[in-house]
Amino acid sequence: MNLRPLFFLLLPLLLLGSGSLAAAPDADEAGLIRINATIQTYSPAQPWERNNPSRRRGLGAVLHDLRILTTAEMVADTTYLELESADGTRNTPAKVVAVDYEANLALVSPLDPAQCAWIKDIKPLQTNGPVNIDEQIDIWQLEDNGNALRTVGTVRSVDLLSSFVEGHFFLSYEVKASMQGSSSSYTLPATRNGKLAGILTSYDSKDQICDVLAPEIIALFLQDVADGNYTGFPSLGVATVLTEDPYFRSFLGLNDEQGGLYVSRILPGSGADESGLQEKDVILAIDGNPLDRRGYYLDQRYGRLFWTNLITGKKKVGDSITLDIVRDGATKSLTAALQRRVEPLIPSHIHDQPPAYLIKGGMVFQDLSQQYLQAFGKDWQTRAPLNLLDALRNPEDYEEGRNRLVFLSRVVATPATIGYDQIASLIVTEVNGHPIKDMNSLAEAFQHPVDGLHTIKIDDIPYVLYLDATLSDTVDQQLLQSGLPALQRLPE
Amino acid sequence: MKPHLLILSGFLLLPATAQELLPPPTGTSPLAVATSEAADIYRSVVRIEVATQVSDYQTPWNSGRFGGGTGSGFLIGPNRFLTNAHVVSNARRILINERGSSVKHPAKVVHVAHDCDLAILEVEDPAPFTGLKYLEFGDVPPLESQVRVIGYPVGGDRISVTRGVVSRIDFRPYSHSQVDSHLVVQIDAAINPGNSGGPVLQEGKVVGVAFQGLRQADNTGYMIPTPVIRRFLKDVEDGEYDHYVDLGAAEFPLFNPAMRKALQLPDNGLGVMVASVTPTGPCDGVLQAGDVLLSIDGKPIDNAGNIDVEGEKVVLHEIVERKFQGDTVNLEFQRGGEQKQATITLTSFPAARIFALSYGERPRYVFFCGLTFQPLDLNLYATHQFSNPRVRKTYQNYVKDSIFKEREDVVILTRVESDSLTSHLGEFAGTVVEEINGQKISTLDQVHELLYADDQPEFITIKCEGSPRPIVIPAAEAKDANKRIMQSNGIYLPFYLDKPSSDSR
Repeated sequence: MNLRPLFFLLLPLLLLGSGSLAAAPDADEAGLIRINATIQTYSPAQPWERNNPSRRRGLGAVLHDLRILTTAEMVADTTYLELESADGTRNTPAKVVAVDYEANLALVSPLDPAQCAWIKDIKPLQTNGPVNIDEQIDIWQLEDNGNALRTVGTVRSVDLLSSFVEGHFFLSYEVKASMQGSSSSYTLPATRNGKLAGILTSYDSKDQICDVLAPEIIALFLQDVADGNYTGFPSLGVATVLTEDPYFRSFLGLNDEQGGLYVSRILPGSGADESGLQEKDVILAIDGNPLDRRGYYLDQRYGRLFWTNLITGKKKVGDSITLDIVRDGATKSLTAALQRRVEPLIPSHIHDQPPAYLIKGGMVFQDLSQQYLQAFGKDWQTRAPLNLLDALRNPEDYEEGRNRLVFLSRVVATPATIGYDQIASLIVTEVNGHPIKDMNSLAEAFQHPVDGLHTIKIDDIPYVLYLDATLSDTVDQQLLQSGLPALQRLPE
Repeated sequence: MKPHLLILSGFLLLPATAQELLPPPTGTSPLAVATSEAADIYRSVVRIEVATQVSDYQTPWNSGRFGGGTGSGFLIGPNRFLTNAHVVSNARRILINERGSSVKHPAKVVHVAHDCDLAILEVEDPAPFTGLKYLEFGDVPPLESQVRVIGYPVGGDRISVTRGVVSRIDFRPYSHSQVDSHLVVQIDAAINPGNSGGPVLQEGKVVGVAFQGLRQADNTGYMIPTPVIRRFLKDVEDGEYDHYVDLGAAEFPLFNPAMRKALQLPDNGLGVMVASVTPTGPCDGVLQAGDVLLSIDGKPIDNAGNIDVEGEKVVLHEIVERKFQGDTVNLEFQRGGEQKQATITLTSFPAARIFALSYGERPRYVFFCGLTFQPLDLNLYATHQFSNPRVRKTYQNYVKDSIFKEREDVVILTRVESDSLTSHLGEFAGTVVEEINGQKISTLDQVHELLYADDQPEFITIKCEGSPRPIVIPAAEAKDANKRIMQSNGIYLPFYLDKPSSDSR
C-alpha cells in the first residue's frame, strides 16, 4: 500500500513527459459499466453442496435497451450479479438474459429496469463491423477513480480461438497492446471509431497480446438473442482429420491441387448425418470455398482461416451449406442443414446448472461430465479413474441405450453400505433389472426394489451390489437430518 | 551405525558377567562353542557379485544398460546356494566370494523363480566350498521372537550381522515381479542393499531369506519365510520351475447384510463372493461370478475371504500357495441357495504374467519404416508411460476381459522415428495396433509377417485403436525407406522375435 502515492506521482510526470495533457476519457461516453459477480460452483465430490464463493470484477459494454454485453466467463455459475457505475457510486442487481458458454458471450440486464436511471446516462455503444488486420482498436479499462482508460492496440492476426470452454473455437483478433493491470480487468470492451468491435477474452502480459472476440461473432450472438429465445451457434457434426500426409493423400486418391478434410466420424442426428455425408468422405469445399489440406479456406478479409468459421462465423441454426466431397474417387455435392450441436453423452461443461445426483443408502450416483474428471487436478488425464477416462475418450462405445453416463461416484459409509467403503467410480449399467440410461431412469429404477432389496449392476468388480431397501430409506432420512439438503437432484 | 554398536557391546557383556558366576572353564568355554557355531554359519553365507545388462524397452534394438551389484546368499546343499532372484536377475556374470577370501568363484543360475524372488546358484568349481555347513531350514518364527540377519550389506566389505524381532506375519506383495503376493515376515532389523539373499536365522536354523525393505519406514525389513522357500525347493526338484498355481477367481468380501440376504446366506460371518472368474483358468466353467465360496480343502472361509491355518488367519489363497501344478483343491460353494462341491485342478496361468516384470530377456520388437512395434507387458508399460486410456484399459483388463484369448500379444506402436515418410505419423505413437492390411493383429510375429511380406498391396495400411485415420505407407517406397531409417537411427536388426523363456518372469 505504501507504493500507492508514488504511483500517483509518477503518472503526471509521465504525462508531462509525453508533452500532452489530455483529459481522461469519460466512462459514460465510452459506454462502460462495471459488473460484479459472485461465483459459486458445485463440489464435484459432494454435488449437493456448493464450493466457497469467489468474486470477480469485470466490465461490460452497454448496448441500447439497457442490455450489457460481457463474456460468459464473467457470468457463469454466479449466485449474485450486479452492475456498478464507473465511479462506483451506484449499483443495481442484474440478471443474465442470454449466455453462450462456447462462444464466451453473455447479455446482462438490470433486474429492475425502474431502479436504474443511472444506466440510462451511459451512452449505448453501436456495434461496429469487422476490423482489418493492421487496423487499430481501442481497448477499455476503468480505473478505481472511475476514469476510463483507453489502450490502443493493433490487430495483428485473426484466428479461431477457444477462450472459456475448451474445444470450441470462434473467430478472434489477436491484438498487440500494452495493457495495465487493473482491478476490473475481466472482459474488456474493444471499440473502433467509438463503436463496439469486440470483447477482450484474455491477455498475455508477457507477449502483450490480447485475444478479442470478433464483431462477427458478437453480431451473430445479438441476432440470435433478438427474438428473445437464444438458440446458440450451429454445428455440422463431424470429426475430421487433416490430409497433409502425402501418402494418406495418394491412398485417398487426392491430387496435388486438391486440399480436403477426411471425415473420421459423423455424430448421429447431426446436420452432417442427415446430409448423407459418410465417414471416409473427403470434404473439398464448403459453400464454394476450397479447403486446403490443413482445413483452411481463404477468407476475403482475413486470409487463411480454419474451416469451422464458415459455419460458426457465418451461419445460424437452420441455415444450409453445400459440401463438395470426394467419395470413392468421385466428386459429389451435398447440402447440409445446420443444427445446434448434438448433446454428447459426456458433456464437456455444465454451468449454471447444479450437477444431477442421487443418493441411495449412502451410495452417490452422478452423471459424468468432463468437468467432473478435470476436478482430479492438473494431471486429470492420468489421475482420473481409467474407466471414466476411457468413456470420455471413446464415447461411441458407451452410447448405446444411454443419454448420459451414470456412475457410482462414491460410497458414504452408512449402516447400509457396510463392506462397500472402497468402491468408487464404477459405471452403472442396471438397477433392479432396469437398464440405466440417465439419472431420471436411475431414480425411477430405485422405485422398484425386488424382495426388499435394490440390485445395482456395475461395470467392474464386484459387478453387482445390493442395498436393503428399508434400511437405505432409513439411512437416507438420517443423511437428511445430518445436513444433506436433498437426496436427489434430477435434471429437468 | 550407533544402534548396531550398542547391540554388539551388549552381546559381549552378557557372557562376560555370566562367566564370573560360573567356575573357571576347563575345556572350551560356552562362549567359544557359540562363536565357532556362528563362524560355521558365517562361512556358509557368501557374497554374490553380479554384473548385469538391463534390457532397454525404450529403444529395443539397443544393448541396454550395463551395471552391477552385490547381494548375499548361503549354502543349502552340495554346490547349491540360495539367494534372491533379484540379486541375479539380468546377470551377465556372477561371482561368489567366501567369507574372508578374496577369491571370486564364477557361478551360474540353476533355478530362478521371479514370482517368489528366489534363485539357486552353483559355482563352476565346488571344491573350495566342500566341508562347509549346509544351513538347515526352520519354521515360521513366532511374533516377538528374535532373529539374526546375516549378509553383506552396504557400508563395509565384511560380513554383517543384525538382530531384530519378528513384528508381523502377513500376506504381502513381492516387489521383484511387481505382481505376486505371498507370505512375508516383517522384522524390525534394517535390511539394506546387499543384504538381499542372506539368511535370517533363529536358533541356528534359517527361518527366512532377507529380501526387501520399506523406503518410507525405518527398521522394517522383510524376509521370505520358509513355507515359500520350501515350496520353491520342492517345485524345482524335478529340474524345472513350474511357477505358482492360481485359483483364477477374485473374491469380494460379504460384510453387507443386504448382500448376504441377496445371496441367501445366514448371518454367520462365513462365505465370500466370487467377483470374477479368470477365463480359461482352473475355475472357469466351475465357478461363476456371484457364487459364494464356503470352504477350501475343508477349511471354512470367513466373510473377508480368510481361513484358519495353524491358528493364524490367512487369506484363502494361502491354501493354493502351497500347492503345485496339477494338484487339486476342494471347494464348497453356494449358488442360488444350493450348496455345491467341486474339485479343481490347479494350473499356473501364463497369460497373467504380462503383469509381471520380465528379466534377462531381449525385448521383442518389429521395426518397419520408422515405426516400432512392441508387445504390451509390464516392462513396456513401465518404460513408456502410456497416456492413451485405451492402451491402459487394454492392459489392465487383458485377463479379466479375456483379451488374451484373442490376442496373445497386444501390439503397441511405441515409437515413430523422424523421416519424410513418417513426418505426419507422430500422433500414432502409443496406440494399440488393431489391423494391418485389413488383418486383425494378435501377435507380434504376425506384424512381422505382414510388414515384411514380399507381396504387398499398393498401400500398406495400419489401423490403430482410437485413431481417426489409418497409417498409410506406399509399398513401393517401403523397402528403401526402411533401409534409410534403420541406418540413420543405428538400428542394425529390423526385428527380434524370440519368445521369452518361461523362466524370465
